[in-house]
Amino acid sequence: MAVSPPPDDANILIGGVYAVDVARPLPGAGGGLPAFAATDRRFPGRGGLMAVQSAPGAPPRAMALNALAGWTGAEMLAPLAYGPARGAQGEPAWFVVSAAPPGPSVAATLRPWGELELLECVLRPAATVLAALQQRRITHRAIRIDNIFRLGPGASVVLGNAWSAPPAQHQPTLFEPPYSAMCLPSGRGDGTIADDIYALGVVLVVLALGRLPLEGLDATAILRRKLSLGSQAALVGDDRLPPAISDLVRGMLAEDPEHRPPPALLAEPALARARRVAARPLRRGQHPLDLAGGQVWDARTLAHAIATDPEAGARLLRSGTVDRWMRRSLGDSAVAPRLDDVVRQRGLDGTADDVGADALLTMRAVAVLDPLAPLCWRGVALWPDGLGAALAAAEVMGEPLGNLLAERLRDLIASEASGNWAAIRPERSDAAMVRAETRTRRALLRLRGWSGGLPRLRYALNPLLPCSSPMLAGRIVARLHDLLPALEAAASRPEARRERPIDREIAAFIAARHDQRFDGELEGLADATSPERAMLMQLRVLAGLQRQVEGGALPALAGWLAEQAAPALDAWHNRARRAALEHAMGEAARFGQLAPMLALLDNAAARTADGRGFQAAGEAVRRIDAELAALAGGGAERHETARRIGHEAVLGVAMMAVTVAVVAMLVS
Amino acid sequence: MSAGAARRGPGGSVWLQGLVCGAAVALATPCTVLAGLLLAPGITALLLEREPGRPAARVALLCGAAMAASPLVALWQAGQGVGGAITAASDSTLLGGCWAAQGAGWLAAMLAPLFVRLALEAHARATMARLRAERSRYEAEWGIPPAEGG
Repeated sequence: MAVSPPPDDANILIGGVYAVDVARPLPGAGGGLPAFAATDRRFPGRGGLMAVQSAPGAPPRAMALNALAGWTGAEMLAPLAYGPARGAQGEPAWFVVSAAPPGPSVAATLRPWGELELLECVLRPAATVLAALQQRRITHRAIRIDNIFRLGPGASVVLGNAWSAPPAQHQPTLFEPPYSAMCLPSGRGDGTIADDIYALGVVLVVLALGRLPLEGLDATAILRRKLSLGSQAALVGDDRLPPAISDLVRGMLAEDPEHRPPPALLAEPALARARRVAARPLRRGQHPLDLAGGQVWDARTLAHAIATDPEAGARLLRSGTVDRWMRRSLGDSAVAPRLDDVVRQRGLDGTADDVGADALLTMRAVAVLDPLAPLCWRGVALWPDGLGAALAAAEVMGEPLGNLLAERLRDLIASEASGNWAAIRPERSDAAMVRAETRTRRALLRLRGWSGGLPRLRYALNPLLPCSSPMLAGRIVARLHDLLPALEAAASRPEARRERPIDREIAAFIAARHDQRFDGELEGLADATSPERAMLMQLRVLAGLQRQVEGGALPALAGWLAEQAAPALDAWHNRARRAALEHAMGEAARFGQLAPMLALLDNAAARTADGRGFQAAGEAVRRIDAELAALAGGGAERHETARRIGHEAVLGVAMMAVTVAVVAMLVS
Repeated sequence: MSAGAARRGPGGSVWLQGLVCGAAVALATPCTVLAGLLLAPGITALLLEREPGRPAARVALLCGAAMAASPLVALWQAGQGVGGAITAASDSTLLGGCWAAQGAGWLAAMLAPLFVRLALEAHARATMARLRAERSRYEAEWGIPPAEGG
């Protein structure tokens, strides 16, 4: 799939050919996101394209975009290209270009649909698309009535855009299975194709009824109703559906995703209708258990209540109230012993006031009580593959919710909760893989310095998440080779040049997008003990990047670095060498090449020679100072020496005179 | 000097000098008188000088001795008495020459240390200037801070 370069101006082309016309918005076409008309520059007269704008902190689905390269089917608005461009307010944003919807969404004129129309115009084409998606190992996760379009009566429906935001982020609770609806909107993860089948089943119910079921209830009430009654009963209730639709929906809305018919089977409604899966009915207690301000009657609602109010849940679990209720009222002899094990494990995990141990207790209890439930950690529910999007959402959520969520997620990763969660429900997940992923994430979180921590994880888990450094304001930098041009542009802003080019976010971004070659430098940036060392590390990283991406000259960035290199130059002792280096740095900066600048500063042999020379000079100066001090303080000694020498010399002359006189007398 | 002589101190030397002088007065009275008159400034300086070793007096006496040697030998060989010695000493040329030689010796002994000191100070100043120049060069080349007070 074509990917465009970063935007340099408002006329940027996505994928090199698609232009976004932000003056022509397409309301309702983007599946909950702003959509605009787009044109293909190769065929200017041909319309029918749209570009859907991603929201900040909710990057497009990289895996799905890659997997859908070359998609030719017309039953889904598949992506044609994606890349950054300017939004309606001039703000930079990701856009995903696809075909525009052929007509209004089926929600525009809601009316009861006939059985045949539902089967032929909705179920069959949608199931065909889902089967193809399943083959490509991706999911849609945005099947709902306002994201399904069709040209007109009798035409097959077209599934709308689902690629410009994290999976299921914009799905209302009504269209999501309970185990997904209870998650953070950003943390629902890719899910499975069975989740799309569920959403399609809800669409069938809505279209068959000609109205939204459970209308007027809020998301929490809908979720509780689904949990306590089962989705099919909650949605259909006493309403009558066409017989075939009723049979199909019973399977499609099964609580257990494994019980839902596969899309290939749904493409043949007659076969799918005949499929029967016996699901065990939900066991209901004789008496309710009061928890989280409400009453729970069964294990699933109990699990949800504990997930929603983990502190109260932990108290009831530790006091044995839940265990007694499970055994006496619910009479579930299979789950109660496992729950007992979980409570006993709590005693081994930590002391009574250990919040982390309580979080582990409730997380395990929820997993035991409802194996279908997502990972529930201290009031936050998400699927492990939704962690990246949740981290990205926390970043833009703002204070204090964003910080609280980020703190919870950090805690979740640090305690390897995902691994524990997967180990409790091995039949529902690949425990070994989840554990391996968990350890990798924890290792990244624990990396010291700027190359680790939550920012590194956020970028590592979101391949298309743009770098959020304020240094890059006004630019979308989601790929490594976009970074240097963005920094080159930032170098023209005087306020940016007061700081060093690489800050915490950029370092984490580089670490996540790059191989591990620069980990040492990036790690050291955080605790560089001297400005000179920090500058050298920055230059080393940026020069390496310029070499790797084979970018062009970067004179502004080089000039910026040359300015920032003052501490590095100050570290040179020899003044003549320093002056020569400054001159050479200026010359190299003019040509915009960072590697020669690095070579000038990062010359170990020359630095060693400089250090030795400085040491020798210091010793020489100390010797000189000692000699000067001796000379300055040697006046008395010189006086004594002068007196002694003067007297001895005169005495010698006098003795010589005596000798001469005596000799002269003897001779005469 | 032996340990015994050191214990005896300068008193032993004075006693010996007195013995020699006494012997000279007793055995060669005319020569002693003439020598005393000719070397009077030197002897006076010897008595008055307080500097250890009395270097100026010694020089003055040596210079006077160089001038007095010839008349003393002539007096000895002529075998004249004290009167001859006084007659010889009354020769103003001889007496003035002897005394002038002693004065010149004393003056030289006083001035020589001053000249030597001037030479040594000049050498020291030249050395300091050279060292300061060398230090300044190091300061300029290596960025070494200047000396305190320098």
